[in-house]
Amino acid sequence: MTAMRVDAKVVMLGKESVGKTSLVERYVHRRFLVGPYQNTIGAAFVAKALNVSDKVVTLGIWDTAGSERYEAMSRIYYRGARAAIVCYDLTDSSSFKRARFWVKELQNCEEHCKIYLCGTKSDLIEADRSVRQVDYHDVQDFAEEIGAQHFETSSKTGKNVDEVFQKVADDFSSCALEFMQEEKGVDLEQKKDSYFDNCCHN
Amino acid sequence: MSQRSERRGIHVDQSELLCKKGCGYYGNAAWQGLCSKCWREEYQRARQRQIQEDWALAEKLQREEEAAYVSSHSSSQTQPPQSHSQPSLATFSKFEEKKTNEKTRKVTTVKKFFSPSSRTAPKKESHEGKTPSPSITRQSSIETDRASQDFLEFLKTLQKPGREIQKQSRAFIDSMGNKKDLGAEELSECVQDFYQGMSDRLLNHYKGSSEKVDRVMDQVEKYIMTRLYKSVFCPETSDDEKKDLATQRRIRALHWVTIQMLCVPVDEEIPEVSDSVVKAITDVIEMDSKRVPRDKLAFITSCSKHIFNAIRVTKNEPASADDFLPTLIYIVLKANPPRLQSNIQYITRFCNPSRLMTGEDGYYFTNLCCAVAFIEKLDAHSLNLSPEDFERYMSGQASPQRQDDPAAWLQSGSRFNPALSQIHQNLSVLSNLEKRQQQVIEGAQSLQTELAEWQDSVAHEVQEIMERYPLEIKSRASAIDAENVENDRLPPPLQPQVFAG
Repeated sequence: MTAMRVDAKVVMLGKESVGKTSLVERYVHRRFLVGPYQNTIGAAFVAKALNVSDKVVTLGIWDTAGSERYEAMSRIYYRGARAAIVCYDLTDSSSFKRARFWVKELQNCEEHCKIYLCGTKSDLIEADRSVRQVDYHDVQDFAEEIGAQHFETSSKTGKNVDEVFQKVADDFSSCALEFMQEEKGVDLEQKKDSYFDNCCHN
Repeated sequence: MSQRSERRGIHVDQSELLCKKGCGYYGNAAWQGLCSKCWREEYQRARQRQIQEDWALAEKLQREEEAAYVSSHSSSQTQPPQSHSQPSLATFSKFEEKKTNEKTRKVTTVKKFFSPSSRTAPKKESHEGKTPSPSITRQSSIETDRASQDFLEFLKTLQKPGREIQKQSRAFIDSMGNKKDLGAEELSECVQDFYQGMSDRLLNHYKGSSEKVDRVMDQVEKYIMTRLYKSVFCPETSDDEKKDLATQRRIRALHWVTIQMLCVPVDEEIPEVSDSVVKAITDVIEMDSKRVPRDKLAFITSCSKHIFNAIRVTKNEPASADDFLPTLIYIVLKANPPRLQSNIQYITRFCNPSRLMTGEDGYYFTNLCCAVAFIEKLDAHSLNLSPEDFERYMSGQASPQRQDDPAAWLQSGSRFNPALSQIHQNLSVLSNLEKRQQQVIEGAQSLQTELAEWQDSVAHEVQEIMERYPLEIKSRASAIDAENVENDRLPPPLQPQVFAG
């Protein structure tokens, strides 16, 4: 049983086969898998420690099932998530439509969850510009509209992969700091309460 | 005179009036000649000792009772014969067994509980509060005893905070005993508040590192939840039980769902895979037997690991959530774990939240929740079936296997239904055995005839030889010398010569 302490929950959202798993695999194990070789047991959950300034933040990265048949359950997945990496395939416009769906869901249900839009397979576009189906500026506009970060990544070359997760961790730790300071004000009160409670029980 | 002596007595007693401990303050007869300070110390010590003794006694009694119970039952009790073949049934009988177990224990415990208390009546008041009320004591079993012991052992390593943790935990368990009528959600809130308060205090007051606090909180959870399990698992105030039954029925009604419909990337033909599948099913069923939310989570995690293994062996690449979730759904459908909803609710309500929300266990648990939600909402669309087909399968009018042409079904039938394949396998094994038995019998018979023939032939041969060389026995005893003509010419035998000495 792993006793690794996780600070923040990060969910990966996105249509099937946009490359959520590859992105995580690339980031955590620094590799891109083409063939059927490999011995890790599943990449659905990984805990990864990152350095943010002089602190260590551990991200628990949750892979989710992207198939539409599980759409009704996706809420269970991102409950309590501090960040969501919404993936879409740069060469597949339908995947971006699905990404919009998740963004809407997140905005409705998880206000504390920061959203990161992540276009995948950018290496395919570099090889052949005509395969691009999702325009960079459209997404950029959309990202600004919803207050999200936007990245175009390639799990094959590793482009922008580290940056996404580093950004997630940075945002989390600065956010957590604010959060803690906010809490401090209430903290004393709470402690007093609980202590008082205990007196009564005795 | 008397007055004098009294005065003198008072006078003389001046030194005796001082505290017996010699601390320099005046003592008091009511405090056994000690000063207030020394008396308080003394009293506290005695009280502490008393409390410890009482605890030891209570524990001893409990253990004796347990031993008596176990020995009385081990002889009379017989295991339900079909327990191994029907896991859900087995758990249920276990559950019933515990219930009766509980009832019998209640009587003796209450009796025993009162008998020793007269001895320590005046000092007991504060102690009574800390002793679990009978309603909780009654639940104790070997398991709770062990949990308390482990907990105490663990707290010893913490010294001062350890004592406080112990005190608070006990007080909390006790207070929970009075809150039985609360709804499940309120109970959950109480427990969560307690976790929160305790970990805050450990973090802020005792300045524990977060890892250490986590470790302590794990132990606290284990201790508290082992003791509270009976009263808060599937409480009467909630409709958990109804939901359990509904889910169970639902899963039973969905028995016809196949691997193909769910797009499960698992090939049970591969022995290692089917092995992993069986282990996963066992684990998810086994979850029900644990009391501590964290132990239940551990079983879910272990089940998930087996699933990942099954997928990895089948696909030869790492499993993603897109593979994992359908497989988990398939496993849940196959296993039909007992009291699934109750278990999920219990974990959600009483698990330490930090573990549930973010860690690996939390991930698998969330997936299990998703699987259950999926099963509840499952419709024709989610299985890629037409609504009519779905209706027919659900009502039991048709079975998806028979839709295919019979030949194909026969071939693939084993893959659809492990029970069928088991039957096929058993049948072939049986016929194989029969064949072999036949062979053995034939062999034995031929051996028998061979043996008989051999005997005959031997007898025959002997007969033949006897006929060919008839045995003539001549009387030889006297003839040895008689026939020997040469004998006459031999010199007479030597005679021993005796020399006179």
